[in-house]
Amino acid sequence: MFLNSWSIALLICGVLVLFLLGLAARSAVRVLLFWDPDSDSNRQIRLENEIWLTSTLVECGLGVQIVSLVVFVLAADYFSQSIVGAMCATGSLLANDFGIPALIVKIGGVFFYGFWIVLHQLDIRSPKYPLVRLKYVYLLLLMPLVVLDLALEIVYIAGLTPEIITSCCAVVFGDAVGGGTNLLSGLTHGMSLLLFYGSALLLLAVGVVLLKTPRPWLSLVFGCLWLGFFILALMTVTTVFSSYIYAMPYHKCPFCLLKPEYQYIGFAIYAALFGGTFMGTSVVVAEPLRSMEGMGDVVSGYRKKAVGVALLFLILFSVLSSYHYVRYLIVGGEG
Amino acid sequence: MLIELEGVTKIYNQGQINEVVALRDIDLRIKEHTLNCLRGASGCGKSTLLSIIGCVIQPTSGRTAIAGLQPARMPDRFLTVHRRRCIGFIFQNYNILPALTVRENITLPLVPLGLSRRAMAERVERLLQQFSIGHRGNFPAGRISGGELQRVAIARALVNDPPPSSWQTNPRPISTAV
Amino acid sequence: MNGGLTKHLNIIDYTLSSLWRRRARNASVLIVFAGVIFLVASFQFVTEALTETALDSLRTAPEITIQRLSAGRQTEVPLDYGEQVASIHGVREVVPRIWGYYFDEVTGANLTVIGVDLERMPLGEKLNLTLAEGEVPEPGASGWVLVGRSIKRIVESKGTAYLSLFRPDLSQASYAITGVFDAVTDVLTNDLIVMDIGDARDLFHISPAAATDLCVYVANLEEVPNIARKIAAALPDARVLTRSQISQTYQVVFGWRSGFASVCLLTALAAFVIFAWDKASGLSPEERREITILKILGWETSDILAVRFWEGALVAGGAFIAGCTGAYIHVAYFDASLFRSVMVGWSVIHPSLRLVPSLQVSTLLLIFCFTVLPYMAATVIPAWRSAIVPTDSALSGM
Repeated sequence: MFLNSWSIALLICGVLVLFLLGLAARSAVRVLLFWDPDSDSNRQIRLENEIWLTSTLVECGLGVQIVSLVVFVLAADYFSQSIVGAMCATGSLLANDFGIPALIVKIGGVFFYGFWIVLHQLDIRSPKYPLVRLKYVYLLLLMPLVVLDLALEIVYIAGLTPEIITSCCAVVFGDAVGGGTNLLSGLTHGMSLLLFYGSALLLLAVGVVLLKTPRPWLSLVFGCLWLGFFILALMTVTTVFSSYIYAMPYHKCPFCLLKPEYQYIGFAIYAALFGGTFMGTSVVVAEPLRSMEGMGDVVSGYRKKAVGVALLFLILFSVLSSYHYVRYLIVGGEG
Repeated sequence: MLIELEGVTKIYNQGQINEVVALRDIDLRIKEHTLNCLRGASGCGKSTLLSIIGCVIQPTSGRTAIAGLQPARMPDRFLTVHRRRCIGFIFQNYNILPALTVRENITLPLVPLGLSRRAMAERVERLLQQFSIGHRGNFPAGRISGGELQRVAIARALVNDPPPSSWQTNPRPISTAV
Repeated sequence: MNGGLTKHLNIIDYTLSSLWRRRARNASVLIVFAGVIFLVASFQFVTEALTETALDSLRTAPEITIQRLSAGRQTEVPLDYGEQVASIHGVREVVPRIWGYYFDEVTGANLTVIGVDLERMPLGEKLNLTLAEGEVPEPGASGWVLVGRSIKRIVESKGTAYLSLFRPDLSQASYAITGVFDAVTDVLTNDLIVMDIGDARDLFHISPAAATDLCVYVANLEEVPNIARKIAAALPDARVLTRSQISQTYQVVFGWRSGFASVCLLTALAAFVIFAWDKASGLSPEERREITILKILGWETSDILAVRFWEGALVAGGAFIAGCTGAYIHVAYFDASLFRSVMVGWSVIHPSLRLVPSLQVSTLLLIFCFTVLPYMAATVIPAWRSAIVPTDSALSGM
C-alpha cells in the first residue's frame, strides 16, 4: 500500500531524517578524524563551525522525527479503513509483524536524537567542548537506528494489503473474553490504578528530594523510575483511562485518543508523558558527565532544570489523563 | 590591568605556501581609564592585534587576558559572548547598515543580550540624546551625514555598556577603534 | 524575566524587519511556495471531500448485497435465493433490486438505473431526505422516476417533464419525473435513475422471478460477517458483498488516486525545493556584510541560525496559510475546477459536485509533510553557510 498520501508522507519523513542525519554523520566523521582544540588552523575553525551545522541538522531531524511519529500513528488509523477487520490504528499496526516494531523504533528515535541535543547543549556550555568526541561517536551510533527506522517503515507498508484480516483493539486490549489475546492481562482495574498513582507519587517524591539534595545514585533512580513509569502509564492509559475518555467500557485503545472526536486530548496526554519521560531519563544521560573537566556546574544546572520540568510534565500528565476518570467518579456516566 | 598580552604570535595559514606571520611575540599592557593609540605602517599587523584584543580572532600562541577573561583557545562562541558584554567597535568605515534606521543600528548589539524591549529602547534613547542625534532616530542610516554617521558608530560601540549597578562585577567595556 | 525567551523575541523582531527589507525576494519565494502548497492541498481536500461524500451515501446502503455469478460474470439472481437467505437466523429483510446501466446514445452517457421495491425497502421513507425537489411516490405506484440533477437538466432541455428510455426491443418507455436528488449526493446520484422495480424489469426485460441483486438487511451489525459467511456457504454461485468491503474499496480507489496525484505533485515540489535552495544559498555581498557586522557586534553563530530559522518558518507559515486557504476556496467555492476531471470521471456526465472539504488536523499535517518539511530540510545547509561567514572579514576588508 505505497500509493496513497499517508504512505508517501511517511516515506518523505523517513528519507528527510536519513538525509539530515546522514549529513550530520558526514561531519561527525570529519570531526572525529581531525578535531584538535589546541590548533588555530583553518581546518579547526572549519570544524568548530561544523558543530553548528551538525546541531542544526540533528535538531531539524528530531523535529521531522516527531512529526513522523504522529504521522505514523495517524497513517495506521487511516490504513484501518481499508484493511478488513481493523477498526482503528491498533488493528493496522498488528496487520503484520513490522507495525509495532516500527512504532517502537520511531519512539526510540525521538528519545535518542533528543539525547544527542542534550549532550550538545551541555557540551557548548563549557569552553573546552569536552564532549565533542563523545557526542560525535554517539551520533555515528545513531545511524543504524535511522536506517532501521526507515527500513521497518517500508517493510511495514509493503506488507499491508487490504485483504488481511486483523484483530482490533477491542480484542487486543479488551478483557480476555472469548479467547481473544489480551496483552495486558493479569492486572485488575483497581490494582493498575493503585500502581499508577503510587508510582506517580513516588516519582514526585524522588524528584523533590533530588532537587533538594542532589545525589548521583538518586538521579539514576529517578531516570529508571521514569522509564518504568512510562511503560506503566502507557498501559494504564490504554486499559483504564481510555475507556473513560471514550465513554465506552469496552473500547480500550491507545490511539483513538488522538482523534478529533475526543478533542485531540491524546496529543496533550502523550506530549506531557513523552516530555516528562524525556527530561526524566535525560538526567541519567547527563549524570555520568559530571566527573568530566569543567562539566560539574553545567550538569548540576541542567539536572535542576530537567528534574523541575519533568515533575511539571508529570503533574500535567496525571491531571490530563485522569480528568475523565475523576469526572466520571464525581459526575457519573452521562454527565 | 584591563588588557594583557604576553608573547602573542599570530600566523595565518600556518604550514601552507601562503603562510603569513602577522604578529611575532607581542607583549602589551593597557590600564583601565586610559586612551591608547596604535600606529604603524600599512600591513604591519595593527588590525590583527586589534582583532585579538577585540576577541574576534585568536592568537596562534601566547597568553592573553582581556577584561578578566583569558580567551586563548576558546571556542568562537565564548569569545562572542565576551565580546558582546565588554567590547565595542568603531570601524574606520563605520560598518553601519545603511538599510536600517539609526535607532535599529544602535540596537543591534543589544539584541542577543536578551534584554526586554523597554530596557533596550531606554539605553538607545539615552545614547541618541547624549550624541544629539535623537532627531535622526528613525532615519535610514544610509541617508545621514558623515558626522552623524560617526556619532552613530560611537553610540553603537557604547550601547552594550553594562548599567552602573553591575559595574562592580562586570569590567568596564573597552572601545576598540579600527 | 527569562533572558532566553526575550532574546528569541528580539531575534524574531529583527527577522521581521529583515524580511520586510528584502520583501521582493522573500515575496517571490512565498508566492511560488504558496502555489505548490495550493496544488497539494487542493488534491488532498478534493480526495477527502469525495471519499467522505461517497462513504456518507453508503451509510444507508444494505449491509449485504448478493449477486450471482455465471461464467465469472454477473447474472440475474432468482428470487428463490431470497427465501433461502431470509431463513438464515439474524436476517431482518431480503429485498430484490435491479441495478443496471443504460447507455444513452444521444448524450453518449452511461446512466445508472436502480429499480427498487418501495414496499419492502426498510429505509424507503428515508429516500425522501435525499431529494432536493419532489417526493417519493406511494409504494405500489409505477411509471415514476427519481433522477440526478444532470439527467433532470437534459430532460428539461428537451422541453418535457417525461424521461423516455428504450427497451432492448427499441420500444419506448416514458416515466414521469417525480423527484430530483440533492446536490450533496451528486458523486453517486448525478447520473442515477431510480424507478419502481417492476418498471425496471420491464425496461431491461428481466423475468419477474429474478433481480440483478438482493439486498440483505441484518438486525445486528456485529453479525454481518457471520451472516455473509453463511450466505456464501448456502449459495455457492453467489457473490456476497458487505457494506464495509464496498467502503474499503472506495477508500483504496480514492486513496490510490490521491497518492498517484501526490507522486505527480512531488515533481513540482522537487522543483520548488531546488528553487528554495538556490534562493537561500545565493548570499549577496550586502547580506554577507550584514552578517559579518552582526557577528562582530556579538551575535553568535546560533543567533544567526535562529534568524534564518525564523525567516524560513515565517515564509513557510505564510505560504502554508495562503496555500491552504486558497485551496479551500478553490475546492469549496470553485468546485476544484482545475482538476475535477482527473478526480471524478465516473461517467461522461461530469457531476457538478458541491465539494465541502472538512478541515481536519490530519489533512493539514499531511500537507505540511509534503511541503514544509522538505523546504525546511532544504534550507538547513544554505542557512548554516550564511551563518559561518568569518568575523574578521569586516576588519580585513577595510
